[in-house]
Amino acid sequence: MPLINLPAFAADLLADFERLGTLRVDTPVIQPAEPFLDMAGEDLRRRIFMTESETGKSLCLRPEFTIPVCLRHIETATGTPQRYSYLGEIFRQRREGANEFYQAGIEDLGETDVASADARAIGDAIDILTARLPGRRLRVTLGDQSVFEAVVAACGLPAGWQKRLIHAFGNSAQIDALLTRLSSPQPVTGLSPEIEALLTSGDDATLIAHLDETMEATGYSTNASRSPKEIAARLKEKRALEKTALDGRTLGLLREFLSLSIPLADAPAALFAFAKKSGLTLDGALSRFDARVAALGNAGVDPGLLTYRAAFGRPLDYYTGLVFEVVIDGSSAVLAGGGRFDRLMTLLGAKKRIPAVGFALWLDRIEQALAQRDGEAAR
Amino acid sequence: MTITIALPSKGRMKDDASAIFEKAGMKIVAVGNDRSYRGRVEGLDDVEIAFLSASEISREIGNGSIDFGVTGEDLIREGLSEADARVEFCARLGFGHADVVVAVPEIWLDVDTMADLGDVAADFRARHGRRLAIATKYWRLTQQFFSAKHGIQLYRIVESLGATEGAPASGSADIIVDITSTGSTLKANHLKILSDGIMLRSEACLVRARKAEHAGDPLVAKIIDAVNGALA
Repeated sequence: MPLINLPAFAADLLADFERLGTLRVDTPVIQPAEPFLDMAGEDLRRRIFMTESETGKSLCLRPEFTIPVCLRHIETATGTPQRYSYLGEIFRQRREGANEFYQAGIEDLGETDVASADARAIGDAIDILTARLPGRRLRVTLGDQSVFEAVVAACGLPAGWQKRLIHAFGNSAQIDALLTRLSSPQPVTGLSPEIEALLTSGDDATLIAHLDETMEATGYSTNASRSPKEIAARLKEKRALEKTALDGRTLGLLREFLSLSIPLADAPAALFAFAKKSGLTLDGALSRFDARVAALGNAGVDPGLLTYRAAFGRPLDYYTGLVFEVVIDGSSAVLAGGGRFDRLMTLLGAKKRIPAVGFALWLDRIEQALAQRDGEAAR
Repeated sequence: MTITIALPSKGRMKDDASAIFEKAGMKIVAVGNDRSYRGRVEGLDDVEIAFLSASEISREIGNGSIDFGVTGEDLIREGLSEADARVEFCARLGFGHADVVVAVPEIWLDVDTMADLGDVAADFRARHGRRLAIATKYWRLTQQFFSAKHGIQLYRIVESLGATEGAPASGSADIIVDITSTGSTLKANHLKILSDGIMLRSEACLVRARKAEHAGDPLVAKIIDAVNGALA
């Protein structure tokens, strides 16, 4: 049986959170399952512990804190900006390690000074880990989806391709497969002569009316799922692109960008040089990137710890910008992971857009790192 | 050691499985009457036959309470996580053919591949206020195919235990993952299979629970050889 004692350093951690001026919150362990599956996708289902209420409602044991903390914020109609901290057990089905373990973290909701909030999240994570693991060299990897978005937009790629690329960002196998696929034309085949004629004529209204009639005749609702208009629009887009393929130069640029992995301190200059050399206009994204680097400097974060990896992202559609991970130098165990999720609050039902950034600390891994150090000291 | 073989308890699958065993020189006789759920093999005293439903066979072989089973590959792969580590597919028996497929409404003229479906799924929530809904009884296969193979995360599974092919027209789901042998039911419901949407080409298989005590057991080897011999 795994030990589930609160880690010995939990009290220190709570003191850290208080010193950092956060509001400590707790959330029920039993949560409605819907928001998690809706936000993270169906793949999560086999990794969480699900059950049903007597009335058939899907419930799960809290698999993480961000969504419950955000839901709590929305339900209690708390004003922003607000910085929350949490510390408690989470529950996940894992092949290795215990199925219940402690996580702690900070969620910073509503801070409109994005660069400072990003820098503060990274700084706080480093600060806390340094206090808990004195003498250990930390390494922080940063990524930023918004820079990639700016690169694909500046390459002048068709909107549909941009969406696909952004969607695959953070998953290197997917993005590789996608780049390969886009490098050859994708003909639209299998259409009936009637549809072909309607497409060629450019008469959208008749095409939509035809789809509408077919759906009515075959017993499909025209508004319960994809509408005739939506189908027609995407069909036209596919037809327009069927002879186009990603050209070698653009492919080279995208691959070059995605392979960037450099000290963060060098990243502003490297990105500027990349943009200049490739003739891409990335001004907005680069100035936001630079502002974050400057904010990290102002917050006193040691630049020697920080690496920028251009391909680093999380393939979840509510992550919008910064993502980061903290490890001990030479280890692959992620002790803290975080990022910016500006889209999550509205997806969860907030009336207005609330910018948000946060991070979670894996207390079991921090404990292991401590035990390892004690073991080394004993030898 | 007694070896237990589970065979389907009724229908075409039962007849076809019995025929293959007979051809393999292992004629199966029911213990008691024809409707009995136990049987034996003529001339092989150490073999017991259990007649079970196809889905029970997949479960029993997963927990190792039987040694061999004849059932559809789809039920094994859906019922067991890490199926290949837990069971060995000893022979494909050439009956019970059925494909597990991804099918979308025919009217989705712009959707022909999983990549198209990925595009549609990515946009779905923004357009419709909910995730793309897939009706299926194949949770595990769907998750593996969509998430692991095609990197599509943004969808929801709507459990469907019968008449899955009617779900898109009735509005309870947008698309389906279901089993088809001829495709005629899909066609009747105005659904089409995506060009790369065949998740699994399933058929009845002789499967063995991977048990340590099978190693070096001549009876285990004999059963596998005999069935494969009957197929050659």
